[in-house]
Amino acid sequence: MRIPLSWLNDYVSLEGVSPKELADRLTFSGLEVEGIETLGSDFKGFVVAGVTAVRPHPNADKLRLVTVERGAEGPLEVVCGAPNVEVGMKAALAVIGTVLPDGTVIKAAKIRGVPSSGMLCAEDELGLSDKHEGLMRLPASAVPGTPLSTLLGPPETVLVVEVTPNRPDCLSLLGIAREVGALLGRPVKRPSVELPEKGPAASARIGVEIRDPALCPRYIARLLTGVKVGESPAWMQKRLQLAGIRAISNVVDITNYVMLECGHPLHAFDLRRLRGERIIVRTAGEGEVMKTLDGVERKLTPRNLMICDAERPVALAGIMGGEESGIAADTADVLLESAYFKPECIRYTSKTLGLTSESTYRFERGADVLGADWAGRRAAALMAAHAGATVAAGAVDAFPRPPEKRQLTLRLDPARALLGVPIEAARVEAIFRSLELGIARSDAASVTVEVPAFRVDLTQEADLIEEVARIYGLDNIPAPAPSARLVPEVTDRTVRARLEVSRQLAALGLTEILNYTFTSDRLLKVFNLSPESQVRLPNPISADQVVLRPSLMPQLVETLGRNRSRQRAEAALFEAGRVFTRKADGSFEEHDRVCIGLMGAVGRSVMGRTGAPGADEAFAWLTGILEGLCRGLRVPARQKGGLRLPNPVLEPAELAWAEPGMGARVLLNGEVCGEAGILRQEMAREWRIGEPVGVAELDADKLAAHVFDVPASRPIPAYPSVDRDVALIVPEAVRHEDIVQAILKVAPNELRQVRLFDIYRGENVGGGRKSMAYALTYQSQEKTLTDEEANGYHNRIKAGIVSDLQAEIRA
Amino acid sequence: MKANDIQELKRQALVEAAAAASADALEAVRVKYLGRKGLLPDIMTGLKDMEPAERPLAGRYANELKQELGDTLAARRDALESASRAANRAPFDGTLPGNWRAAGSRHPVSQVIAEAIRIFHGLGFTVADGPDLETEWHNFDALNTPADHPSRDTQDTFWLNDKTLLRTQTSPVQIRVMEGRKPPVRIIAPGRCYRRDTTDATHSANFHQIEGLYVDRQVSLADLKGDITHFAREMMGADVKVRFRPHFFPFTEPSVEYDFSCHMCKGAGCRVCKHSGWIEISGAGMVNPRVFKNVGYDPETCSGYAFGMGVERIAMIKFGIEDIRLLYENDVRFLEQFT
Repeated sequence: MRIPLSWLNDYVSLEGVSPKELADRLTFSGLEVEGIETLGSDFKGFVVAGVTAVRPHPNADKLRLVTVERGAEGPLEVVCGAPNVEVGMKAALAVIGTVLPDGTVIKAAKIRGVPSSGMLCAEDELGLSDKHEGLMRLPASAVPGTPLSTLLGPPETVLVVEVTPNRPDCLSLLGIAREVGALLGRPVKRPSVELPEKGPAASARIGVEIRDPALCPRYIARLLTGVKVGESPAWMQKRLQLAGIRAISNVVDITNYVMLECGHPLHAFDLRRLRGERIIVRTAGEGEVMKTLDGVERKLTPRNLMICDAERPVALAGIMGGEESGIAADTADVLLESAYFKPECIRYTSKTLGLTSESTYRFERGADVLGADWAGRRAAALMAAHAGATVAAGAVDAFPRPPEKRQLTLRLDPARALLGVPIEAARVEAIFRSLELGIARSDAASVTVEVPAFRVDLTQEADLIEEVARIYGLDNIPAPAPSARLVPEVTDRTVRARLEVSRQLAALGLTEILNYTFTSDRLLKVFNLSPESQVRLPNPISADQVVLRPSLMPQLVETLGRNRSRQRAEAALFEAGRVFTRKADGSFEEHDRVCIGLMGAVGRSVMGRTGAPGADEAFAWLTGILEGLCRGLRVPARQKGGLRLPNPVLEPAELAWAEPGMGARVLLNGEVCGEAGILRQEMAREWRIGEPVGVAELDADKLAAHVFDVPASRPIPAYPSVDRDVALIVPEAVRHEDIVQAILKVAPNELRQVRLFDIYRGENVGGGRKSMAYALTYQSQEKTLTDEEANGYHNRIKAGIVSDLQAEIRA
Repeated sequence: MKANDIQELKRQALVEAAAAASADALEAVRVKYLGRKGLLPDIMTGLKDMEPAERPLAGRYANELKQELGDTLAARRDALESASRAANRAPFDGTLPGNWRAAGSRHPVSQVIAEAIRIFHGLGFTVADGPDLETEWHNFDALNTPADHPSRDTQDTFWLNDKTLLRTQTSPVQIRVMEGRKPPVRIIAPGRCYRRDTTDATHSANFHQIEGLYVDRQVSLADLKGDITHFAREMMGADVKVRFRPHFFPFTEPSVEYDFSCHMCKGAGCRVCKHSGWIEISGAGMVNPRVFKNVGYDPETCSGYAFGMGVERIAMIKFGIEDIRLLYENDVRFLEQFT
């Protein structure tokens, strides 16, 4: 809502209040001022020019040579590019030497070879708006040669106010004036609506019938005769323009002016076009068609409300006039509509037909059903004054069921408690009165107000408390230091445990990323992810964002690729996020996951990063991260006797996305928690990544299940430990975990640690075999182990491995 | 010999020790004074011939000579040895790059969420969670959103079917928590939200909010102001100020919007605050009694405040990030700045 301050000043005195101060007061009472604009200037150097001739430019199709008169100063020739320039129009001329509001100086110049002695201006060039739609048309009555400042000056300040949807009463100058009056403690003056009524009563000629009073509770028609359609007065045009509405003709301008003034939309019909000179308000028949003002044929339903004459529709109620019934240049008799339509009905029609306007904007938020009469009177008075209208006596006011008066009570103690201030009853009453909420009753405990019809937002006690708060001033409500209050028996450990996963991964050196929940078919196809269980968006924004991700992995790999394409050779990334699947019964599931991806030689020492990593190397980094993560998240170690082995166990598995032989299921103490492996080469190549990419995706809740476990302390062994090494020659197919399991089978309680320290392949080991060297640590809780005891344990383990795995002990 | 002569001898010995330029010279000093036939054993032998009155002092000085010279010789020996090690060692480059795994980084959005949890934990708030796929009841109806409110349109909201949608705000978590528990309630709920916004520098179809809800027997707007102010100072800096403006939301009454004073320019005006000195943060208010009725709470016996804040917005302001898209582009060069 644009509020020209010179206009607002008509209703409430702004004396001594700067625009900035006023803007702040409004903003801090709930009407946010988004901008303070200064429009126009003293227009030094601009004069009114009359166009007397328009000729083509010899060297340019889009330019014209225009001769203008400017009173005593004599004619001038200027080059003009505006499409709407025509003989007889009045426009603003900037003469040589004039400085435009944007700082441009008009100089004598040749334009495409023809001298131009000035410039005819569009609205933006005058600093009146940002419109550049041809020359600004000045009133035809403007006298050439007059300084433009006498017509348009002085500079105007306009507040741009964002009115929240609950306050349609503030979509008007008077509504804002009421707020300003309340804030500044100043009275609000309403213009007089005394009507010079003449002749027979309006009801003798025109009639109104409301067939659907639920959707149209009130319809007032006034009759104006002998109207002379022409231009509205310059001051009115200027105010409309400042408020952002284009001037059209006196009759239409007056309806718009009154709408801006009091917030009530009006509509003017040419009475000639109303068959039977009567109005019937009814809903449309199913499939009924009407042609609106914009020439479009609209197919309607019984949920759309129409204004009809005796025979056919003439307007879409509250939304748009019909093609034929509007005001024309030769309109003489006018039926002026001032009606109230149900907000829901206007909202529905506006939305379904895609038609919005200043009128729908107000009706759909809620107009003032009791203020409709004032609006009609005000417009009639202006038409008498500025359109030569004769106002018929009275009006046809169809108002079948005036609404009952509404009262609301504010109880002082609960209000004080809710606001946290000991506000006094007298102050509350004063606030209500300043907002034109009449006090019906008040006592020591409560205040009851009459709710005016224009305050559609006041429906419960809390709404009155808000009125008190915003006028009292939120600044005057204290902001005490917070006090911690604990709510017993509420735990948030699951949520916080999940967050701990991310913290640990960052601590392990990974960089956290966030991808969209939406992903594309194309990306999922690269990963061979089944479309059956996907959750698809019926109304996506774009083809790239059609599926809710069933896995974090595709986008994570894509992110690695994007970084690669930006000359980033290595990255260790993770994302914690939700994935979505559709179950067979059509219901949806969501799960919290975490995904890890490694690209380049991220696991190597700083100076060892030249050369691509091998797949086994990348896999080992991934395993190391998972082990560190499990430790950090307190996943209980696998335990046998005194031996504690790290989680997870990576169990070989063929995975759709993993390089054959290099995929694994991630087991935490036997339970599957996700997948890990080296990405298939052909997938990595989609992003031109040639080296192995290590990826894992895990269930966050399973990973984090033990975050809040309390580690139980164990005594530090009191007796020394004994180390014994063993080198085993085993077939390539034998895995480390197989050896560990073979050790575990025969391990005594004294076995404390199993550490692989070397893998060797070579001629002396033989083809298809490898040597794996382990350091085993033995230690007793009860005594110092003798060499014999340690050797005994060690030999039993060696024998166990040999028999289990066809291993040879390497000398 | 007099006690003072021993003092003079000590001074001389210490000078000689300090001047010794090699291990051999140092050894010569040691032998001269402390050796079996050195000066100190002589003095010790001579003590018994001294005046009885002078003897204790002379004995103490002799011991000091032994102690101090011994310490000086040892220190000098260490200095000579380390100088000789340094002379024999290949030059060492202490400016070589370090070699230990560097810490990774949390995403700025996660950092803001973690920080908010820390701050509100301190006030006794617990963290609550809700699904991304929500019902119309939880996301709109229960929050007093009018049936024909534009935010419900398929233009603005991602609907999966006529019952299920991607939550447009974290407020449905309020409803879920209140449906499951009687007051008092004191929660924050961080999470992802979705709106059909076309992505630009300040809009993203995926974004995060942190919801807050405090319901008890007597919660006031003053409490809301105090708690938000505390949050602002903890999150943005101790000198940040907060201002509140009345606003409108269907689920709160009274409703407010709040701004933080710009932590970058301290209110003087800069790029981050668009030269206004203030940054619009988010909305809040006192829970609308209709919302309480929807979850079966009695508005006569309880009151509460609620707030919802945009995490991306706070992260952008806090870190001076100009384009929201940077937060979802995942360029490592960008993310590493937040380690």
